[in-house]
Amino acid sequence: MTDDDPGPLVRLYGLTGGRARPPGESFDLVAIVTTLRMPFEPSGLNPEHHTMLSICRKPTPVADVAAQLGLPLNITRVLLGDLRREGLVNIAPPQPANQTIDERTYRDVLHGIRRL
Amino acid sequence: MEFAGFDRPRPSGGTLTATALKILVAGGFGVGKTTMVGTISEIRPLHTEELLSDRGVGVDDISGVETKVATTVALDFGRITIRDDLWLYLFGTPGQDRFWFMWDELALGALGAVVLADTRRLQDCFPAVDYFEQLKLPFVVAVNCFEGARRHDPAKVQRALGLDESTPIVMCDARNRASVKDVLTTLVTHAMNRR
Repeated sequence: MTDDDPGPLVRLYGLTGGRARPPGESFDLVAIVTTLRMPFEPSGLNPEHHTMLSICRKPTPVADVAAQLGLPLNITRVLLGDLRREGLVNIAPPQPANQTIDERTYRDVLHGIRRL
Repeated sequence: MEFAGFDRPRPSGGTLTATALKILVAGGFGVGKTTMVGTISEIRPLHTEELLSDRGVGVDDISGVETKVATTVALDFGRITIRDDLWLYLFGTPGQDRFWFMWDELALGALGAVVLADTRRLQDCFPAVDYFEQLKLPFVVAVNCFEGARRHDPAKVQRALGLDESTPIVMCDARNRASVKDVLTTLVTHAMNRR
């Protein structure tokens, strides 16, 4: 909690034009984002949008896009929402755990943790 | 979805089956959630300050930068790469009760949760235990054994927290990688058996 110093956050919200939520349907913090195409020039996109498009040429979870850009998750989601609205990225819809996590996935996760 | 029925191009070299899984790390303030995430994450854990939206502060829309930022909530997360197309994310959940709405989102589709407990303040993890029980989300209780703290009998912790017998209780050191691995494998095994 930082009630007394909203400075950096306010500056970050400049990136989104003050928007706190992404346009369109909401999506999960770990939804997979995939770049569909690069924008035609000139576009109204900012450098962060372009970096996102380049990161997501390889399907990448939302949280990881945020980590790579060093941006808060909220801000990242608003910017990704812009890209989706422009048809530049696909953001996979959330799926219930019982559909995404099968026996093999559990075993791979266990193996992956043990190997660390 | 916007792309439903739309024949979208397949990105070159990409796979459409990439999956990211979430594990929540919950517990009282200062119990070591951030430490635990940092101990196991392969990236420097990202600490982000999130702006509270309408659900948190009862404002309909935050429409411009001129709006005074009411409050922010800290959210930490780390990552473990399991395969090229499978990642595990650990989210340290915000401790305060008024941020429950964020828990709902974090918990949706999660693999499970770790409730980190400090035996000197066991009551701090009651809300998390209640929450995950209600949600039927598999969880383990990890007792962070701080230096100098008395080691606790798991049976006592189980009674104090009113836990179901099947809920695993692990003694751990959030700063120790092997110990955190042990907590996570216990959780994943528990979640797998609960299917």
